[in-house]
Amino acid sequence: MGAFYAANAAMAAGPASRRIAGMAWFATADETLPSFEGWLQHRPELREMYKRFYGAPWDDRLVPRDLLELCRLRIAGLHACEAELAITDPGAGLNDEQRAAIGGWEGADCFAPAQRAALALAEKMPWRHHEIDDAEFAEARRHLTDPEIVALTVAMALFDANCRLRIVFELPASPSAAVPSATGPLH
Amino acid sequence: MSTIPRVPSAIPGQPPHFGSVMAQAPAVAARFGELYATFWSKGVVDHRTKEVARMRNARVTDCGF
Repeated sequence: MGAFYAANAAMAAGPASRRIAGMAWFATADETLPSFEGWLQHRPELREMYKRFYGAPWDDRLVPRDLLELCRLRIAGLHACEAELAITDPGAGLNDEQRAAIGGWEGADCFAPAQRAALALAEKMPWRHHEIDDAEFAEARRHLTDPEIVALTVAMALFDANCRLRIVFELPASPSAAVPSATGPLH
Repeated sequence: MSTIPRVPSAIPGQPPHFGSVMAQAPAVAARFGELYATFWSKGVVDHRTKEVARMRNARVTDCGF
């Protein structure tokens, strides 16, 4: 199993040019929408439901926004997903030092214990989810309530899924600074 | 990989399972249920194709559940 995930990780770390080619496999359903949402618009009903699902942690303030942003960007980095990395939540409360250190968070001293606990889970979510151990989960539970843990874990699964969708469909980046929300654009 | 559920059930009398753990965050659970139910009950892809993809994805991700 380890070799399988290592192979996937190696592919993710491969030439990024394929993933930032800027040419999607098929056309958007609505050119007025950001690329990701325009692609989802091929199924408008599912698009609206997906936005409500994806936006819930922010809309309902279920998880501290700094943790959501850190995990989203770390997972995007593991996927080398330029389209996801082009998005920023300006209200997440992260400073420039923290944003620059996300890729090497394990050796950085600018993250609080709760942030490190969340990043430890995000680190394994894309390729090594079976390797998340009891100690890492227990550490996360020291800082977060059970509802927060569930909402954050679901959010991480969606960050992972979003990267996969963007990469599989070769969606171009839509750089933006936006708060994820069921009622706003989905970049 | 742990064999012990890491998050308790939020539904009294029920053991931890996908639904009872998701119930810790009711807003998330409700919106997931809305999306997933629609995905399976409506759509332009036939049910058989969706089920084949679901089963294959479960095997690839080594999810015995």
